[in-house]
Amino acid sequence: MGCRAMSAYRALLGAELRIFVRDKASLAFTFLFPLLFILIFGALMGGIGDAEDSRIGLAVAPNEEGRQLEQIVSETGRLSVHSHPDRTALEAALETGDVDFGAVWDGDRLTFLYDARRTQENHTFEEVARGIAARFNLLLQGLAPIVSTRVESVGGRGATGWLNLVVPGILAFSTLSAGLFAVSGHITGMKQRKLLDRMIVTPMPRVALLAAVISVRLAVVYVSTLITLGVAIAVFRLDFDVDWLRYSLFVPAGTVGMMGFGTVIALVVRQPSSAGNIANAISMIMMFVSGIYFPIEIMPAFLRGISRAMPLTYMADALRYATGVIDMSDTRFWWTTGILFGAGVAVLPLLARYVVRADRR
Amino acid sequence: MSGITAVARTYLVTNLRERITLFWFLVFPLFLLTILTLIFGGLGSDLETTFAVGLVNSARANGGPTDFSSMVERAFVHLSSSDSPDRRPLFRLHRPADGEDPRAFLDREKDAVRIGDRALLIEIPAGFNEALLASVGGAGPPAAIAISVSGGRISSEIARSIADQVIAGVNERILTVVGRFDPSQALTVESARVGSNGRDFLYVDFLLPGVVLMAFFTAGLFGVPGTILFGRERKILKRYWVTPLETRRFLAGFSLGHLALCATQFVALYLLGRFAFGARVALLSPLSLAFLALAASVFLAFGFLISSLARTANAAMAIANILNLPMMFLGGLFFPIGELPAILRAVMLANPVTYLADGLRTALGVTTPMVPCAATIAVPVAWAVVCVVVAARRLQWGAEQ
Repeated sequence: MGCRAMSAYRALLGAELRIFVRDKASLAFTFLFPLLFILIFGALMGGIGDAEDSRIGLAVAPNEEGRQLEQIVSETGRLSVHSHPDRTALEAALETGDVDFGAVWDGDRLTFLYDARRTQENHTFEEVARGIAARFNLLLQGLAPIVSTRVESVGGRGATGWLNLVVPGILAFSTLSAGLFAVSGHITGMKQRKLLDRMIVTPMPRVALLAAVISVRLAVVYVSTLITLGVAIAVFRLDFDVDWLRYSLFVPAGTVGMMGFGTVIALVVRQPSSAGNIANAISMIMMFVSGIYFPIEIMPAFLRGISRAMPLTYMADALRYATGVIDMSDTRFWWTTGILFGAGVAVLPLLARYVVRADRR
Repeated sequence: MSGITAVARTYLVTNLRERITLFWFLVFPLFLLTILTLIFGGLGSDLETTFAVGLVNSARANGGPTDFSSMVERAFVHLSSSDSPDRRPLFRLHRPADGEDPRAFLDREKDAVRIGDRALLIEIPAGFNEALLASVGGAGPPAAIAISVSGGRISSEIARSIADQVIAGVNERILTVVGRFDPSQALTVESARVGSNGRDFLYVDFLLPGVVLMAFFTAGLFGVPGTILFGRERKILKRYWVTPLETRRFLAGFSLGHLALCATQFVALYLLGRFAFGARVALLSPLSLAFLALAASVFLAFGFLISSLARTANAAMAIANILNLPMMFLGGLFFPIGELPAILRAVMLANPVTYLADGLRTALGVTTPMVPCAATIAVPVAWAVVCVVVAARRLQWGAEQ
């Protein structure tokens, strides 16, 4: 950049920073929302997948077999066991939510009871129940399992919970939003309010404006993801093993890549005011199908196919890798980072030429 | 009367004609109902996933009577085939090629598990048959099968739970073969659903009322301030005031138009839920419809409140955006709310969405009541009254910004 461009850049950098700080909605979306998502989802769904922490109600015949069943249940995971005199009492406890699921042993058959209204959780309780039934089945004939498993965790942190997977996903979504809305939101907004028209008639080089917008967004999204990560660690005692080099390279690369995507939207959608709305709709759809909150593995096959076409899926996986939650090949990580950065940089000339320009009269 | 219906029609047509409001008020709720039902509706049923699994049997003993390792191996191989062309096999097995060094295969497959290319690596170790015989004879612990999982990957966890079920079956089969387990005396296991008259609800039965409320909520939160404040800023409202239409008649028409928008949302969502996903909840029952009417009215009042608090349409959209997701998620629209920290619990208890969602679902019998029955009506009504009083004092219909 020449001297004039540098001074324009410095002036625009200050202006961009002030615009960002004064825009309460942008501040909320960038800093507050990721935190809210972490706090709400962490609190609401932190126990997902921990069916072995559930409360099981037991109504068993008062004999040796009943005691054996109680013993098996008490040795299963971290189940908290609640005894009930009979099936009726157990059903009442299930209806009022005092227990999560129940087992009845009448001396002849083992019946597991589930609350019909807990459609989302029953399949995990059923899995625990299958394990209990398998052991009880052998024990009734005086037998114990003769084959067991020895599980070794390779890669990642091993004992990660659902929230460990979600946090990097939210960081990826923040990165996506920041890049996408920097163009299809901020720049198109400037265009809509005729601010660009006024700036472009000054000697300011377009590249200085773009550099200022990119610099502010990169800095803001990096700080925002760090705050989100820090809060997740502090509030929910989550354990991450952050590779700072990869993290610090991926977040800017992802932001630049998504600015390229935002440029494509701004070029396709001719109405500047619509570009932000379209970007908002696309990001919301991506959030649901890219495995940010719900694992891709539980989705139907065709949704998994759609998920594989979404950049956010790869961004989330790359950030899970950079935060030590999952392992992946280094080559795959660098390809993801390189493609995002390269695509973003490749589209920048289009952004400078066709988006950052005066509105047609 | 014609003035009222004209205002109502204008409100409805404007919201359905604008692409962005059409998307958020109608298309997005339909998308959300579809996507969440597709994702969570099939939980626990047959998986459509095929997991890539490495399998190596280092204990094979050429099919002799004590070659239990082959029995275990066959149990996993069985999972790599499908009984019907419509069902995918659960496992796609990767096994060492003929003459391949098992150690090299294990190292390579373990690395594949680490980077997520395999969900599991199952190794039946050398000495398995001997260990198993010792265990059958009571002279040793259970014979162990080594399973490598990829830390943090859900696919690994699901594949491992499938492998656990296979091992449970293998235990029974081997004990039967050695004459220790009598299958005719096997335990009878049953399962039953209780609550809601024993009916087994689908996830869509839980979700549909939540998405209908979300659609109403979004329409109230964004649609009402958007129409009022953009109308004020673009001087559209000013044109109304020069006609003989009184403010109260305008308000009546506006409210009627909003309720018509909610009715349109309800019909579209109900039809999708009922006929595409088989929802069986009685959303058309009088009690349910009364709750939905209450919800639409409360969210309309909430929209008036935001219109009165914001000075510009953009500020109103910012306020609505900030309130939107926290109120929806902390109202239990999509997922049941369990234990929450004190601060979030306080927000949840102050949130009218919580009471409307709980009241509607309780009326439909798809949830255990979380708050007292009277509160599901009293709290939303109190919110509506406060919103209307504040809006009546603050909202400036004619002020140009």
